[in-house]
Amino acid sequence: MTISVEHFSRTYGDLTAVDDLSFEVASGEIVGLIGPNGAGKTTTLRSLAGILRPSAGRLRIDGHEIVGDALEAKRCLAFMPDEPHLFEYLTVEEHLRLVARLYTVTDFEARVRPLLEELQLNGKEQSLPGELSRGMRQKVIIACGLMRSATTLLFDEPLTGLDPLGIRRMRTTIAARARDGAAILLSSHLLHLVEEVCSRVIIMDRGRKIADGTFAELAAHAELAPAGSSLEQIFLRVTGHDGAA
Amino acid sequence: MIGASFYITLCTARNRLRVRLRRLREPRYLLGGIVGAAYLYFTVFARRNGRSSAARRAGRAAAQTPPSMAAMAVAGPALGGMGLLALTALCWILPGSSGLLTFSDAEIQFLFPAPVPRRKLLLHRILRSQLGLLFGSMVVGLMTPTVGGFTRLRVSVATWVVLVTAKVYFAGVSLSRAKLASRQARALRVAWTPIIVLATAVTIVVIALTRAFAGAPASGPVELFARIRDVASQAVVREILWPFVIIVRPIFAEWPSAYLRSLVLAAGVLGATVVWVLQSDQAFEEAAATAAERRAAAGSGERARYRVRSGAWRLPPIGRPEGAFAWKAAVQTIRLVDRRGLIRVVALLFSLTAISVSLGRGSGFAAIVGFFASIGTAMAILIGPQVLRMDMRQDLRHLELLKSWPVAPAAVVRGQLLWPGALITVCAWGLLTIALGMSWAVVARLAWSLRLSAAASAAIVAPALVFAQLTIHNGVALLLPAWVPLGNQRPRGLDAMGQRLIMLGGTWLLLAVASVPGAVAGGIVWFALQWIVGSAALIPAALVATAIVAIEVLLATEALGPAYERIDILAVERAE
Repeated sequence: MTISVEHFSRTYGDLTAVDDLSFEVASGEIVGLIGPNGAGKTTTLRSLAGILRPSAGRLRIDGHEIVGDALEAKRCLAFMPDEPHLFEYLTVEEHLRLVARLYTVTDFEARVRPLLEELQLNGKEQSLPGELSRGMRQKVIIACGLMRSATTLLFDEPLTGLDPLGIRRMRTTIAARARDGAAILLSSHLLHLVEEVCSRVIIMDRGRKIADGTFAELAAHAELAPAGSSLEQIFLRVTGHDGAA
Repeated sequence: MIGASFYITLCTARNRLRVRLRRLREPRYLLGGIVGAAYLYFTVFARRNGRSSAARRAGRAAAQTPPSMAAMAVAGPALGGMGLLALTALCWILPGSSGLLTFSDAEIQFLFPAPVPRRKLLLHRILRSQLGLLFGSMVVGLMTPTVGGFTRLRVSVATWVVLVTAKVYFAGVSLSRAKLASRQARALRVAWTPIIVLATAVTIVVIALTRAFAGAPASGPVELFARIRDVASQAVVREILWPFVIIVRPIFAEWPSAYLRSLVLAAGVLGATVVWVLQSDQAFEEAAATAAERRAAAGSGERARYRVRSGAWRLPPIGRPEGAFAWKAAVQTIRLVDRRGLIRVVALLFSLTAISVSLGRGSGFAAIVGFFASIGTAMAILIGPQVLRMDMRQDLRHLELLKSWPVAPAAVVRGQLLWPGALITVCAWGLLTIALGMSWAVVARLAWSLRLSAAASAAIVAPALVFAQLTIHNGVALLLPAWVPLGNQRPRGLDAMGQRLIMLGGTWLLLAVASVPGAVAGGIVWFALQWIVGSAALIPAALVATAIVAIEVLLATEALGPAYERIDILAVERAE
């Protein structure tokens, strides 16, 4: 398993953001992490990326503990956060060079051209983040994540700010990385994207996992939703908001 | 629009005060507020009261103004006028643009689309700046020594006129600079005329001053001020200085008639300056639009302005991670610093040094340059690490990104220190070189070998002190992130000032403690060697002290690694 989460909890003072969460993501799998605001999705992703320390439980990337063996774990993963906080004084190309240096990517020149092409960043190599749109900055963050051959990819709202063409390309990119063997955990409120791209879905609510399975398994689950329900309907039902909709 | 400006200004001031009072509930602001208030009290009120009581105790004779102060007061308008002329000229040379042209996000969003002429927007900006200027003027009034309450008020009002005029003038300079590259001959003439006039005026005054002092240095401050006053009263110089003297005269004028008359004249000069700036309507239109675009592009709260420039330092794909952090900060410096501005500053420093050397020992000018270079060296070493924040204090904003990188925590901390430490050290070395070059005029009694040894040892110790302070600052950023303003943030208020004082005092205290082992070891080396090599023993002593502090810094960065690992991103976000 490339991502392994065992009894993970995270508290902020009195608030329990994530409570006893366990799941695994295998190589080549794309798992969607969905839930209402405050469900604990971003906390889970940030903890997996080594940004937040877990209050309890074990988080492993490619067998490496994110707390005890942080450097090795981080070498295996790429985290694409929802807010593109770039260094405002580095150009797009320099961001990529910096990441290449930190992750010891030796074939930078060979990798960078196709990546810029793939993410429609050609011609923007010498631009500063201040000169880029929100969507473009998001692409730079994603490019930094895809610069190396990470075995684990964590996406937090990867399509925010992207145009329709960008969204389509991003879907293709994510699928291609999974085909290459990466384990992908993707958090998004865009349920149609999750439905289309992910091979499995984890639904969280108030810090707890309330459903986990392939879309077909969730849809076929008589207790959750009527037969033929969409992911949106399943989501609303399991989170107890179907009446509100 | 004026009514709206008043409304915005007053509501902002009121709400800001409320927020600052409310945040005193948090211990860090309360503690900062207490320290800030105590600082203000002891530097202004207590000192004033101390002086008054001392004067009362010493009797009337002792309370009389010393002759040098009296001579300075008489020469005040001339000195102030010359100073203003120099500042007026420097405005054109030094980089930077006026704060009057820096619109806030809200101003851009609300006022730019509103049916308001751009001239009124400028008036709005002038009005918005008044509270800060009034506060500054009040501080000057309070700091004025040995005068009564009403005189303090008069000084405050007079200072306020000077500050407003300077602010508006600087806005005019910023607008005129935009026209210097114009392709239209008429616009070029209009833009270059004030520069040519100013350059001529400065040249005439400098020649007059040089004639007054060359070959016959003043015997003391009384004579110095008297000669300056004489120069200012010479024909042509008097006419040149007239508008500048007019502006500063109310500060020195007697109440009531002289003061009121001079205040009216100063207000006239202020009015003329405002009219000159408002004439730059087209340039203001462009400058305001550019400022708005830049701000919108940079995002909310972002003030730094970066330009893509080749740094001629491409990050190699392989190497230690510390190097990558140093490269990152170096690129930031290259993109932030205006090269032309830097060249101007360096040229100015070089010219001052060259002039002071060429004028010779008798002029006293070399002593002034040497003295300020020495002060500058000390400031660079002791204040530089507090001011230059291209390290963890700034990168806490990017903690999310940094923490996802596979870099050893201690290496991150070390990498963050490298570039700012190197930059401050180089600046300190540059100033130290000037100070050493001028030392024959400042400390002529000391032997050349001693001065050289002292300067060399200072150069050796400088990086140790700088890196030690940077380690302390970065340690505080990691251990107490809520106390550290992020990025370009500059919190204001008494409490924020108190927080900065606590930080500065704490840093120096820790620096003193950290320096003890190095100082002791260095002292032993100096004591042992000074019998053999004399003053040159300072150099090996400094080397030993620096080596010990360097080891301490390395150990501290290793110790801070776990703090970096533990730092909670939410503690940082709350501080925002």
